[in-house]
Amino acid sequence: MISRLLRSPQAGLSLVILIAAIGLALTAGSHVDPATGNNVNNFLNAHTLFQMATDASGFAIMAVGATIVIISGGIDLSAGAVYALAGVVMAMVLRAVGPLDPVLTVALGLGTCIVVSLACGIANGVMVVGLQVHPFIITLGTMWIVRGIAFVASHAESILVPPALTHVAKASLGLNPTLSPVPLLAMLGVGTLGSIYLTRTVMGRHIFAVGGNAEASRFAGLPVQRIRLGVFVLSGLTAGAAAFLGASFYGSATSSDANGYELYVIASAVVGGASLTGGKGSAVSAMLGAMLIVLIRQAIRTLHLDQNYEWIIIGGAMIVAVVLDQGGTKLVARRVAAAAGRNPTSSMPPAPESK
Amino acid sequence: MASPAVRFSGVTKRYPGVVALNGVSFEVAAASCHAVCGENGAGKSTLGKLLSGIDRPDGGAIEIDGRPVRFASPAEALTAGVAMVHQELASCANLSVAENLCLGAMPSRWTFVDRAAMRARAIELLVDIGSEIDVTKPMSTLSVAEQQLVQIASAVGSGARIIVFDEPTSSLSEGEAARLYALVRRLTARGTTLIYVSHRMPEIFRLSDHVTVLRDGEHVATRATTELDESELVQLMIGRKLDQYFPSHVGAAPREELLSVRGLSSPGKFYDISFSLRAGEVLGLAGLIGAGRSEIAKALFGLDPNVTGQLRLDGKPVQIRSARDAMRLGIGLVPEDRKVEGLVLSMSGRENVTLPVLDRVSTRSWIRSSEERAVAQKYFERLRVKVASADAPASGLSGGNQQKLVLARWIAAGSKILILNEPTRGVDVGAKAELHAWIDQLASEGHAILLISSELPELLHLATRIIVLRQGRVAGEVARESADQESLLRMMAGLDAAAHPPASTRARA
Repeated sequence: MISRLLRSPQAGLSLVILIAAIGLALTAGSHVDPATGNNVNNFLNAHTLFQMATDASGFAIMAVGATIVIISGGIDLSAGAVYALAGVVMAMVLRAVGPLDPVLTVALGLGTCIVVSLACGIANGVMVVGLQVHPFIITLGTMWIVRGIAFVASHAESILVPPALTHVAKASLGLNPTLSPVPLLAMLGVGTLGSIYLTRTVMGRHIFAVGGNAEASRFAGLPVQRIRLGVFVLSGLTAGAAAFLGASFYGSATSSDANGYELYVIASAVVGGASLTGGKGSAVSAMLGAMLIVLIRQAIRTLHLDQNYEWIIIGGAMIVAVVLDQGGTKLVARRVAAAAGRNPTSSMPPAPESK
Repeated sequence: MASPAVRFSGVTKRYPGVVALNGVSFEVAAASCHAVCGENGAGKSTLGKLLSGIDRPDGGAIEIDGRPVRFASPAEALTAGVAMVHQELASCANLSVAENLCLGAMPSRWTFVDRAAMRARAIELLVDIGSEIDVTKPMSTLSVAEQQLVQIASAVGSGARIIVFDEPTSSLSEGEAARLYALVRRLTARGTTLIYVSHRMPEIFRLSDHVTVLRDGEHVATRATTELDESELVQLMIGRKLDQYFPSHVGAAPREELLSVRGLSSPGKFYDISFSLRAGEVLGLAGLIGAGRSEIAKALFGLDPNVTGQLRLDGKPVQIRSARDAMRLGIGLVPEDRKVEGLVLSMSGRENVTLPVLDRVSTRSWIRSSEERAVAQKYFERLRVKVASADAPASGLSGGNQQKLVLARWIAAGSKILILNEPTRGVDVGAKAELHAWIDQLASEGHAILLISSELPELLHLATRIIVLRQGRVAGEVARESADQESLLRMMAGLDAAAHPPASTRARA
């Protein structure tokens, strides 16, 4: 079991995160909790950890969608904008209908987010497939268009969402009332679903095939265009889910929400080992990638480093992570090649005997 | 005769699984045109690659003007005066003729391109070889022959003394051939040495002073062209007793007709193709590169949107608009290039085999893992795919095993009609024999097989009938009993139909 874990593709990244977390815990120092009088580690305490999970949840959920697109050989730059539009439209719809039963409010909110993000995803996919334009360009365009729609629709105001939503998103689920495990659970849930989708279903397998070799997939009779369209729908949906969670948790939505998230999201997927040439990636790894980025941000705060350096550090760390991952891939490839050289696979075996 | 411009001594080149050249030695006289010919896979293109610095020999030596050379790159070869004229690769299609000709040494004034000087230089280079192509035209608007001329001009202008012509993939018109002929005379007259890699008889006899024949990577003969006639040359190229290489296969008696093709056409690719394919038979499709063989295979598999014509399957008219349609109708295609069209190299062998049949091992899109493994394992064993694990990536497998994966995929899919496009290209001898036995066995199990191959012996021994294509049309059909390599080769090249120059004009004393 342990050896299987060690050999899993996530082993390297998990180890890096673990080491970074231990290092941070050891150097973070501690403070006295005024409520209990206990001495607590500045990093390793329930409150900070849940806070980090909440920070990570938004783009970790979207990173699962981004990874699916990247595995298919595409890219989606519009995720952050879709997040903003879904949040804004949900807030406006809920404000327009006025007070409702809490369950209805949550259902209507979630439904609105899903409808909006689904529409954006379909628009992206239809344009990429129908216009035969590279997804980078299409989603760069829709990124501005969608955020622009959110801006115009909301008049650039911050719109409050009903407290019913916040109650759900901040529910303590029986833990200490100051802790909010819902974003963490949502993140783990989406990661698990994404992982199962990619590794256990026919559609998931088709996505890997199209990203690995679209031409060969066409020759194997796969509906390549439909698969290419579908991944954008999924990416849109994860943005909608993240928007519902985010707007509910923070209690409001504006057109500038999740600004720049598209790049955090792609960075998470890439740090998680997804290849921009397609055919390679993992939903769980993308989530781990998101966690690593959040961990770095947290380290800057916990260690009282100058926050102005945040972007420089994250940028550098991302490049280092990808280079390390590539080095590891090459090493594995060389080992495989060496093993193949030792036992050549071709000899002169007998032909099928039944004649 | 002058001292040799190029001397190959014992040149050997191995590619994974294949010995492309085995101890080849011969000399190329300076200021002559030297043809290198042989069947597909004889090693003639490899020779050109070694001389022009694209690849490096594993053994033996290449001398130029008496000095041994070993080029690390085409640029290095060019510096030494060796240039390669490659049909489609070596130009930037988006740039103009003038820009292409001056690419290496762009005339400039204060870092700005001096357009007038560039055009003047380009015209100068073209006039030098007697061509009047408009230098402002984009390269992409030129005919193949014109592009070839531009490359020759570029090679001559760069001071190349030895020019290697790689195998032309499309034939030249009568006028173009005449111009090329004049140009070759002009170049050799001023001391340039030409090496012409081809298997096209008419051009070889019109252009060359000497011919070197290669066969299976071995040097067979080097003769003065005037000492040979066409049938002698064909004999030298074929040379062997076929039975030594290909054990005879016994096809089963053909049964009912599975597929009927009537008037299949795709503009620019092939025209008015008709044939019928029966269960239990292997129908061969022969033709030179560019004759339309692969295009027909793709069209039958639903990958050509412009195709017209009638298809009947089991007597019923059908439409095949996509690969999915073809699959549903029980047609499988093993494509020409297994790495580009056949396999997803980043996926495992198992995943590659089950790719088109996933819906059969899944419930509502949920893949039943153990069942998928069982299916893959079954065909791995049946076809004797040799891998350490079915989960190993397909990229690490040998050519023969990779090809078996693609074949296994369609057998697993239950395809009744199998279109095999160059199924044994680039696989080693052992795997080749195995694949041949498989083709035979699949036919006897009642599959209908359309076999496309550039290797005539393969067709002659596996196919029940052979259809010969030439320039997109059916040139003829021969039964196995009455077919031989020479007649097929003649039919493919259009030798019987097209008038070739009489001996008096092609012979040059």
